[in-house]
Amino acid sequence: MILPGHRWQARAVALASLALGAALWELAGQRTADALWAPLSGTLARLWELAAGGVLAARAASSLTLFFSGFALAVAVGAPLGVLMARAARLRIAIEPYVMVLYATPMVALVPFILSMMGFGFAPKVLVVFLFAVFPVLYNTIEGARSVRPELVEVAQSFRSGEWALWRDVLIPYTLPYAMTGARLAIGRGLVGMVAAEFFLSPSGLGQEIMMGSQNFDTTLMLATLLVIVALGVALIDLGSALERRFSRWRGLDR
Amino acid sequence: MSRAEALAAVPAPRLLDSPWFLRLAAGAALLLAWELVVRGFAPGYVARPSGVARALWPVLSDAKFLAAAGATLGAVLAGLAISIVAGTAVGMLMGRARLVEAGLRYYVNSLFATPMVAILPFATLWFGYTGDARLAVVAFAAFFSITVNAADGARSVPREYLEVAGAFRATGWRTVLDVVLPASLPYLIAGVRLAAGRALVGAVVAEFFTSVPGLGYYILFNSRTFKHDEAFVAVVVLVVAGVTFEALLNWLARRYLPWARRS
Repeated sequence: MILPGHRWQARAVALASLALGAALWELAGQRTADALWAPLSGTLARLWELAAGGVLAARAASSLTLFFSGFALAVAVGAPLGVLMARAARLRIAIEPYVMVLYATPMVALVPFILSMMGFGFAPKVLVVFLFAVFPVLYNTIEGARSVRPELVEVAQSFRSGEWALWRDVLIPYTLPYAMTGARLAIGRGLVGMVAAEFFLSPSGLGQEIMMGSQNFDTTLMLATLLVIVALGVALIDLGSALERRFSRWRGLDR
Repeated sequence: MSRAEALAAVPAPRLLDSPWFLRLAAGAALLLAWELVVRGFAPGYVARPSGVARALWPVLSDAKFLAAAGATLGAVLAGLAISIVAGTAVGMLMGRARLVEAGLRYYVNSLFATPMVAILPFATLWFGYTGDARLAVVAFAAFFSITVNAADGARSVPREYLEVAGAFRATGWRTVLDVVLPASLPYLIAGVRLAAGRALVGAVVAEFFTSVPGLGYYILFNSRTFKHDEAFVAVVVLVVAGVTFEALLNWLARRYLPWARRS
């Protein structure tokens, strides 16, 4: 039982549902108090104003700098460490359960400690994004490392392959698709870390804008900024999924 | 060669090859490194394993702490229950009815990608600085991962199953309950696992923001007054909760869904 629907019908329903959503948003904004919800028209006008004044670009750039600093650091640490586990089986067995525990840890609980130890600079915020993002990368890369077939390493070694060639031709190609899965998951978590850092450490970027809106009961500012955050989130997660798909085809799972 | 000699020639299993020994040694090494680094380089108030161990019992036997832990974990479970019921229903519909999928896809996908921290200020606008705001954030954090996975599961039910159900003239309802739902359970469990992690994060950030009593607020309050060892006990409880839930889901999947082994 799959309820049918032609392609044009699906497209019409999608458009209608978006139009309905916009209408509901507008009505809800006009019927409720300004402090609870703002109409779509006001939100879009505010968004335009923020964009024209250059505030939006500056805030978004600040948020993205924070996100990519933490994310890049997480990949740079997590992926090589994970690949290393393909060569160091004992080390892998020893630390795997701890990586799993840290993967399941709500890292946001560490934010108050980071605040009182490191204060209000840029570095503690990068640390927060890093902590959110590194364990998905590490955990998934280790899973890749575990699945590297020993025969491949043995063949390479019987051809007297050096360590660097072994990494370049066997280990990295084999674990990269797994690392990409980790990176996709890390993007979602890193975004949460980014906003959490901007809220609870020194206010900056898009998070600061939402906070300012909430303190002044300025719902149009809050909603306009939230729209930008949602758009960034969708774009980054789609990018992550596209990269993952690109490399899972390479792994041969996407057939 | 005598029997005794032959037995002696078999190499004894070496300690270094025993996984449990390796794990314990790594755990001890990590704790030791943490202890030494904090003692050597950090101010006195920073949490370290010996301090956390000393604080463990006094904190865990404190009625106020237990109430806080109960409030946070209760909110997480309540939010998860709401999201599992609602998310499964919406996800099943999206997976099986093309037009529902077309209508909801943009909303579900974009809210799934929204960092749940960003909606905190809205939750406090609507629900005040209360436990309801926390529950709303937890449910928001969990709902979309369950919906997305339930829809994936419902979509990937093998066509043959549905054909058999159709051949036996099963009604739509029976098909959903007896065929589609069981067949998508592995996806649902993956969704619940993801949702549980997000729900914990949601509860903690909501408490940071609203100062509603709970584990998150306990951490915030004690770390502000430089009682990091006490605050860290709350982190340990959160970690134990997360890991226990994960183990429970794995057990459920192995026990009741043995056909859905991870490849």
